[in-house]
Amino acid sequence: MELTVQLIIYGTLMGLVFALIALGLSLIFGVMNIVNFAHGEFLMVGMYIAYLLSTFLHFDPIISLPLAALAGYLLGIMSYHFLIHHILRGPMVAQLFGTFGLMLFLRYLAMYIFTPDVRSIRTGILVGKVLTLGWVSLDLSKVISAGVCLISFGLVYWMIYRTKLGRALRATSLDSEAAQYMGIDTKKMNALAWGIGGATVALAGSLLAHFYYITPTVGMLFTLIAFAIVALGGFGSITGAFLAGIIIGLIMVLSGHLVSELKFTFIYIVYFLVVIFRPRGFFGW
Amino acid sequence: MKRKKLFIIFFAMIFLGWVGSSTLFAQVKEVKIGVILPLSGPLAPIGKSLKEGAELAADIVNKKYPELDISIARWEGIPNLGGAKLTLIFADSRGDPGWGAEQAKRLIEDEKVVGLMGAYQSAVTKTASVEAERAGIPFINPDSTSPDLTKRGFKWFWRVTPHETWFTRDLFDFLDGLVAGKAPGVKAIPKSELEPLAAAGENTEWGAASLAEIEKFAKERGWKIAESFKYPHKAADLTSESRRLIASKAPTFLFAPYVADAILFIKTLKEMKASPRLIWGQDAGFIEADFYKTLGADVNGILTRDLFSPELAKVKPVAGKLNEMYKKMTGYDFSGSSARDFVGVQVWAHVLNNAKSTSPEAIRKALNELNLPGKELIMPWKGVKFGSPFPGDTQQNELGSGVINQYQGYPGGKLHIIFPFEASTSKLIYPFPGWK
Repeated sequence: MELTVQLIIYGTLMGLVFALIALGLSLIFGVMNIVNFAHGEFLMVGMYIAYLLSTFLHFDPIISLPLAALAGYLLGIMSYHFLIHHILRGPMVAQLFGTFGLMLFLRYLAMYIFTPDVRSIRTGILVGKVLTLGWVSLDLSKVISAGVCLISFGLVYWMIYRTKLGRALRATSLDSEAAQYMGIDTKKMNALAWGIGGATVALAGSLLAHFYYITPTVGMLFTLIAFAIVALGGFGSITGAFLAGIIIGLIMVLSGHLVSELKFTFIYIVYFLVVIFRPRGFFGW
Repeated sequence: MKRKKLFIIFFAMIFLGWVGSSTLFAQVKEVKIGVILPLSGPLAPIGKSLKEGAELAADIVNKKYPELDISIARWEGIPNLGGAKLTLIFADSRGDPGWGAEQAKRLIEDEKVVGLMGAYQSAVTKTASVEAERAGIPFINPDSTSPDLTKRGFKWFWRVTPHETWFTRDLFDFLDGLVAGKAPGVKAIPKSELEPLAAAGENTEWGAASLAEIEKFAKERGWKIAESFKYPHKAADLTSESRRLIASKAPTFLFAPYVADAILFIKTLKEMKASPRLIWGQDAGFIEADFYKTLGADVNGILTRDLFSPELAKVKPVAGKLNEMYKKMTGYDFSGSSARDFVGVQVWAHVLNNAKSTSPEAIRKALNELNLPGKELIMPWKGVKFGSPFPGDTQQNELGSGVINQYQGYPGGKLHIIFPFEASTSKLIYPFPGWK
């Protein structure tokens, strides 16, 4: 019993981080119908920002959170203006290869600058601290990360469903042409989706850097999980990404405990079942 | 008439002499060896250090280093090939067996390499060596340890490093030695304090082979195993696996992961306040610079199967000098892996020199007749001589051996040799001190 409760807590905490990683991917797809293959690389950028600030400027990595989010936002906007905006005019394949190219560019640029060495953040008010609650001991940085993920989800949800800007974004996502007729600057909305997507995933990266190792290829591991979450939760759905993230986190930890070798198989079995019985995911449209 | 005959004979001699010198005694300018390593992807940090080890050895073969007391340092190229320079052509396997085999093919067909070396990961070595076998090109493997590799009866495959069977036997000799009170600085430890064992290995060719060997030796030597499982490597999260190890209540944890997972395991176990009495890693991730640089003081007390320690300098001065050169070049010490790739190039150089030719058949003969003494090597081995040390092995170096090291006093500390007990460079820290 104790063990099960512990595993559920671990699964939920990791699941929340996974959900925040997947949020941007879902949002960009929802608004523009584009799969961002470079999503994991945005995460990696967030991780390196936290690493650089803590190692070279001796900032506490917690300070890097807003800075990573800002950098992610700018990276998203820049990616849209300098690349995505142009490839939108091309066929679907060009769009796929465009973000794929961006992924390779960012990954190998990081490899050039930072070398492939594995790095990690060693000091910080949250780093390596353990929180003990009765018989459950938890990594404090994971608990805080999960909390920040919850707050971020709340903010994005509020922005999209409770503000005028969010309404315009949703309109663009539902019918871009009609939204344009209504006077919505859809180009701006697309850029905004990329900005929010970049900000949330880079924020997740700087949180992850508190307890995970950093290397130029680290994004790859999380991109695959994020794809499963987006498909499970429904393309473009914020609530879906949130719930699917937690579900994937739980499946991973619980199945990992039973048959570790098959934990990714379990994730994809659930994914296939959803695709067969509810192809649009939990909350997709 | 006589003059005419003499002229013809003279002409024929000159002609034959010219043909002979241009073919049989041709001055080979360079000898190309293809080296396949994981230079991108999660194993890139290890791949980079192996490449540097191989490059240093090639540099020593090609230039004169009078301060080093090994024959390749006096050579300036391969002497019996007219001083031909050794050129290493590196190819990136991306850690992928299919891609690794493609690279082997490319090196053989396009680069026209004389032979191959690599490929670190057993699964990649397996596929890449199949291409060499097909083409009839020698493949020297200095760094893969899955026992299966030398049990395939290949004609063109030679392994320099000892394999898992060896290392696992060392582990159980070490454990039995702890119970018998042979460990330096520690009294005899009751077996009940160390039993049962819990083992986790990644689900790759190498990880699975490691676990299978551990299970086999545990049965033979009468050690109980509480948990033994494989996990998906490059895992995004290892909480459930770590929890499983703790739940087994085993005091001895055994691991077989590469570096990223090794770091994640230790971080997660620390977070969960695990308190094993002994942690042992099967080389690979546990000996890489990234492992101790990333974890700092958290590595103290961890034991790892290894093949090299900078502390070897105390008993083998040439190992110390070579390590200094490597450290100057890279900023970190030789690891058991990078030192083995250094040896791989050394073996290639000696074999080419003994073969006096670059023809595959001559190289094959030279490899099978090679008897390189231990004093030539950076490793604490008796030498390199290919034979059949364990049942079923072919063309496997018989004279290699492993060590078990312990991290002590990190950061800035040392990796001390603990086993073989008679060669230990420090007292054993027991039990594992835990994480602060």
